[in-house]
Amino acid sequence: MDFLSNNIYYIGAFGLIFIGLFIILVKHNLIKVIIGISILDTGVNLFLIAVGYINKGTAPIFSKPGLDAKNMVDPVPQALVLTAIVIGVAILALALSLAIRLYQHYGTLDLRKIKEQRW
Amino acid sequence: MRKIISIILLAIIFIGIILTLCKIPFGIHKTKVGQYYIDKGREETGAVNIVTSVVVNYRGFDTLGEVTILFLVAIGLGAVLSNFKEKGKRKIEPASLILQTGCRFLFPLILLFGAYIFIHGHLTPGGGFQGGAIIASAFLLIYLGCHGKKINEVASKTTESIGGLVFIVIGLIGLTVGGHYFLSNFMPKGQINTLFSAGIIPIIYIAIGFKVGSELAGVIDNLMEKS
Amino acid sequence: MVNPVLLIVVPLALAFALPLVGLISKKIIKYIPVLAFLFNFIISLLLIPKVLHQTIIVKIGGFLPPIGINLFVGPVGILFSTLIALAGLLVSIYALTYIKGGSKEKYHILYLLLLTGATGVVLTGDMFNLFVFFEILCISSYALVSFLGNKAGIESSIKYLIQGSVGSSLLLLGIGLLYGQFGTLNMADIANQIHSSNSPSIFVPMVLMITGLGVEAAIFPLNAWLPDAHSSAPSSISAILSGIAIEVGLYAVIRIIFTIFNASSFLMFFIFLGVLTLLIGEMSAFSQKNIKRMLAYSSIGQIGLIMFAVSLNTQYGVSAGLFQMVSHTLGKGLLFLTVGFMIYKTGSMEISSFEGIGKKMPLTSLLFTIGVFSIVGLPPFIGFASKFMIIRAALVTGELLFTILIGLILLGTVIEGAYFFNVIQSIYFKGDNEIGNKK
Repeated sequence: MDFLSNNIYYIGAFGLIFIGLFIILVKHNLIKVIIGISILDTGVNLFLIAVGYINKGTAPIFSKPGLDAKNMVDPVPQALVLTAIVIGVAILALALSLAIRLYQHYGTLDLRKIKEQRW
Repeated sequence: MRKIISIILLAIIFIGIILTLCKIPFGIHKTKVGQYYIDKGREETGAVNIVTSVVVNYRGFDTLGEVTILFLVAIGLGAVLSNFKEKGKRKIEPASLILQTGCRFLFPLILLFGAYIFIHGHLTPGGGFQGGAIIASAFLLIYLGCHGKKINEVASKTTESIGGLVFIVIGLIGLTVGGHYFLSNFMPKGQINTLFSAGIIPIIYIAIGFKVGSELAGVIDNLMEKS
Repeated sequence: MVNPVLLIVVPLALAFALPLVGLISKKIIKYIPVLAFLFNFIISLLLIPKVLHQTIIVKIGGFLPPIGINLFVGPVGILFSTLIALAGLLVSIYALTYIKGGSKEKYHILYLLLLTGATGVVLTGDMFNLFVFFEILCISSYALVSFLGNKAGIESSIKYLIQGSVGSSLLLLGIGLLYGQFGTLNMADIANQIHSSNSPSIFVPMVLMITGLGVEAAIFPLNAWLPDAHSSAPSSISAILSGIAIEVGLYAVIRIIFTIFNASSFLMFFIFLGVLTLLIGEMSAFSQKNIKRMLAYSSIGQIGLIMFAVSLNTQYGVSAGLFQMVSHTLGKGLLFLTVGFMIYKTGSMEISSFEGIGKKMPLTSLLFTIGVFSIVGLPPFIGFASKFMIIRAALVTGELLFTILIGLILLGTVIEGAYFFNVIQSIYFKGDNEIGNKK
């Protein structure tokens, strides 16, 4: 139980990653696959932030003049996650616009039926 | 069948990752570069928010790439949805008077809040991207609440381009003046923890804030028109 | 001395300024990519003598690595940068008159950004910067594949997007695992701290990163998107995707294996994967009726050949692999551009509709034949020189296993020659002219 409560963020992040991968591999409705991509991105971002956490640390902002520099979490993963969130939003927007055009052409969003290109 | 194969694949990845995670214990102090940023960040950049100084100054090239990706998506979305033919309009009921007046009342307040966040990016949590997203949500409120108002496309495109060009021009000025490095912090750093401090960081964040706000508003405009 | 940062920043600034220029006048939009890549090409050529003398390391923002980001401009990097600028220049001149439908301004912006992302991937020295520029490359290629807006284009683009975004999430996961162990993001710094790649905590991030980059580099099980995407894009974009995008992806994979991880035991697996990719690509191309799909499968085969050459881990092998990359970019680019013009004239992508074009379009058919001879490897074209170098590099090591694999590669080359010569025969010799019959 102690192990579980210590590493709860890792377990949560990898749970999200595996749920996202499972949705992308198994489901055949396009909107569900796009939601799966979004869940996968969220899981990876959560994992990146969890890597940088230090026990009992606070945000790295020196808002009051006397703040101690020893108790601050790592600022680098937060900068990486800022960029990664924006990239995730970009892919989601492009995927949704392609889904709109795909529905206009085929009339269905079932990936098993959208197989016009074969060998 | 597909479910079984995917579960096996995921189990293999799971075992691999568990073996790796033994080396990254949770909550222990393990950084080298991060400690340097926390110790020396205030003197070298002048910003009180260390995450901002990492994003804009130390790793500013990544931020330039990120701004490019947002620009790319706005253009790509416009390209994909450009030849869309509408199949007849749906009948939309106009909103009630209370809703319209409420939206119009809230719109400048949300814009003010977003502008506050990206101007004070170097003092409080927040910054250009966060402020830009709030500004875009103000435009979304106008689209949803009061039908028939659209943003001026020429104005939004011009704001996007000028925002991006300001970022690159500041970087190129740093190449010629100051330390002869791209994106070096050549402006005076002022007094710490005040609004006019930290050199080029507030200017870049204001440019990014305008750019992100107009880009996301353009994306919302494209999606609302074509569906 | 010119700063190599300008190789990335100038096309980016022109891409940001293009909408403003479009507001003023619509006619000069299509000349701006030509200017940008002419500038890039000249700067890369000027930098080559200095880089061969000593590697340039550019500090961005004035901070030493690993505190700041740095650009690592080595001989291989500047070679690739020159190649990207040359290919970009030639294809942008082709696109001056080729792009007619759709919104032209958006095509040129996306094109500039694709090649900026590619230049950024080859010139960077930092892991997360590699990820960001790689994403610029991938997202602009998703948007460009669907540019024509027809059924095939949108379907190929959504499948490419799903596979590509899973790949980039795995890449980011690998980068996060590496950062958690070493605390730094600089490539040279991580390479200094890795002693062996046999422990699972180093092996797993490497596999994740290679899988993530392998989706773009078209390594065997991950290249299901490639035939659809390269055949549904406009022809100028197919030339850039086949010639530059997958090679830059393969360059990133090679850089990670050699520079960061230095994993020699993993390379044996790569050799088998390379030969397998080659055989599957060539055999699939043999039965194709659509000319662009055939060229796309041939690209998969060539990537397998390059993987084999580079994984030999000798000096001959790696230099032969790089030379093959150059000859593949130029040859496949030429093939796609001429095929694009032929498709425009005949209106269909089937090989059977190209019968007898040799009389109507003699110059284009001659260029197509030159491209085919270079890809298959006939003298005196550079495809022959690069394939000869690869075979010699494998035979020099003297191991029996490599000799058997060379036999398989030569079998693949024979199949390649068979289907390409089939196309040339139908262009020059068969039957009546279909264009004459239609009129």
